Amino acid sequence: MNLSRRHLLLGAVQGAGLLLLSGCEKAFNSLQQNKKFLSVLESAEGANQRLQRLLTGKNKLAQEFTEQEISRYFKPNGNPPPITMDYAADAKKQWSAWRLEISGLVKQPARFSLTDLKSMPARTQITRHDCVEGWSAIAKWKGVPLTEIMQRVQPTPEARYVVFHCMDTDDNGALYYESIDFRDAHHPQTILAYEMNDHALPIAHGAPLRLRIETQLGYKHAKYIRKIEFVATYDKIASGKGGYWEDQGYEWYAGI
Amino acid sequence: MENLVYRHNRITRATHWIDALAIMILVMSGFQIFNAHPHLYWGNTSEPDRAFLSIAATSDDGEVRGFFRIYGWKLDTTGVLGAQNTDMGPTPRAFPSWITVPGYFWLAGGRRWHFFFAWIFVLNGLLYLIYNLANGHLRKFLFTARDAARVPAMVLYYLRIRGSSPQEGEYNPLQRMAYTSVFFVLTPLIMLSGMAMSPQLNTAFHWLPAMFGGRQSARSIHFILTFLFVSFTFGHVFMVVMTGIFNNIRSMVTGWYREKGPDISEPGWIQNFKEEMIQKPAKVPVLHQLSSPDVEEVRPVEETLPACIEPEEQNKDISKSATQDAQIPLESPKQVLLTYTDEAKKDKSE
Repeated sequence: MNLSRRHLLLGAVQGAGLLLLSGCEKAFNSLQQNKKFLSVLESAEGANQRLQRLLTGKNKLAQEFTEQEISRYFKPNGNPPPITMDYAADAKKQWSAWRLEISGLVKQPARFSLTDLKSMPARTQITRHDCVEGWSAIAKWKGVPLTEIMQRVQPTPEARYVVFHCMDTDDNGALYYESIDFRDAHHPQTILAYEMNDHALPIAHGAPLRLRIETQLGYKHAKYIRKIEFVATYDKIASGKGGYWEDQGYEWYAGI
Repeated sequence: MENLVYRHNRITRATHWIDALAIMILVMSGFQIFNAHPHLYWGNTSEPDRAFLSIAATSDDGEVRGFFRIYGWKLDTTGVLGAQNTDMGPTPRAFPSWITVPGYFWLAGGRRWHFFFAWIFVLNGLLYLIYNLANGHLRKFLFTARDAARVPAMVLYYLRIRGSSPQEGEYNPLQRMAYTSVFFVLTPLIMLSGMAMSPQLNTAFHWLPAMFGGRQSARSIHFILTFLFVSFTFGHVFMVVMTGIFNNIRSMVTGWYREKGPDISEPGWIQNFKEEMIQKPAKVPVLHQLSSPDVEEVRPVEETLPACIEPEEQNKDISKSATQDAQIPLESPKQVLLTYTDEAKKDKSE
């Protein structure tokens, strides 16, 4: 075989390889656009949720760490803080105007000030925050267990989900929100945190109030909460997938 | 002369190709997930300055350069890793689009593919394991202390320093070591390190991330094990190509593998055949290698082999038998083949 033929052959092999790779890339991408195929892929979510919850059982506590293990750096992720005048002005006044509104399928709708929340029994926990991106950071959180709120407002039997409406928005103005079910709402480590590492919750981390739900990934931990709504279904909220990131294709069940 | 033997049962063939697809998707969607935070750490948390491995980009002087860094060692990998060349110039991206699933940057999509094919991988693996444990096939390549002793000899044989292979049975010691470690060490470890990243599982199983040294360690080990899987696959494909790509692929598609046997069309074949038998101990006959996974009763045939024929007698034999198959006093490979064919048909018609 002479040199030019060898080059030709090598070129052909390389070309075929590249064609195969770019073909694969196109195939994967078009499959990803295909609704039916996507729903097949998405079927893994329910399987993961059922199997993982079956394996773990209810109310098992996530690992708690020591003060020494607290991360030096904790990435403030997600949307930027709310940039409204009201928010900034209220931040200066230690959230004296802010109220947590509890509504929806509850017997006693309520509005709580930050002082009200701080007067309720609190829980402090040093836990690991796991972001869907892959990083982890440990911090100390103090807040009101969600069960304390639930005892006060009395959800009706129809209520199945707890929806957290937030003040932060993305570039397009879409408001952040999240939802969890009662199994996680009753988890002892599910708290509405107003303190981080012994200081008032910083603005970057969701002041004045954020959710800690240690059974799931970071994007479930709604920040800048203004309203908690008890609902039977979250179909009617925003794009109907139960959360800001869920509306963009992420799993509602973020335990994995 | 060719002897077709039925080597891989239906379940093995089907699960092999499903596994190949699942591993490919898992690796490629894993790269997509890695791209969301292309740094690895040891321990529980990810302090930014403590990453031991990064595949990222710098944009000093306004120019985007991709790099691969492991501990202190850094390599400019613009165009391949860290930064990919696009229509808009180099763009930061750890693994390039052609090796991730989906091709464009979308973490949510990568996770969907990854978790779906993780189920396929596990269920498929369980099917393979249960079926082949039940029929005894797995025993043939379980790595034992006896095999461990033969590993150096096998390495020397592959390096062509040693003339004869220390192989006993269908799988040689290195094959047994490779398959056993992939099936019973690598696979469980990659599953456990993956599950160790789940916050839900971590509530009940604190030992899960702890056994790897923390959640970030588990993530790093998950990533490193991926490359062990990838290198196994490359090694596997390399051996498939080197030992007869067509024959190997056919055996994994149809089940039928062409064993090397004596070439009957060649005059004097039986002498060569017998000489080979004399050289080898009678316990390691060619027929032993022929036996298909599902056929046990063929074994007695080996007793009829001319394991210890006197050289003088041999010469007489050749003159008689070299011309016509029918006169061969031994049970010919063709007859043996018939037995296998029947057995294989049975297996297929089950």
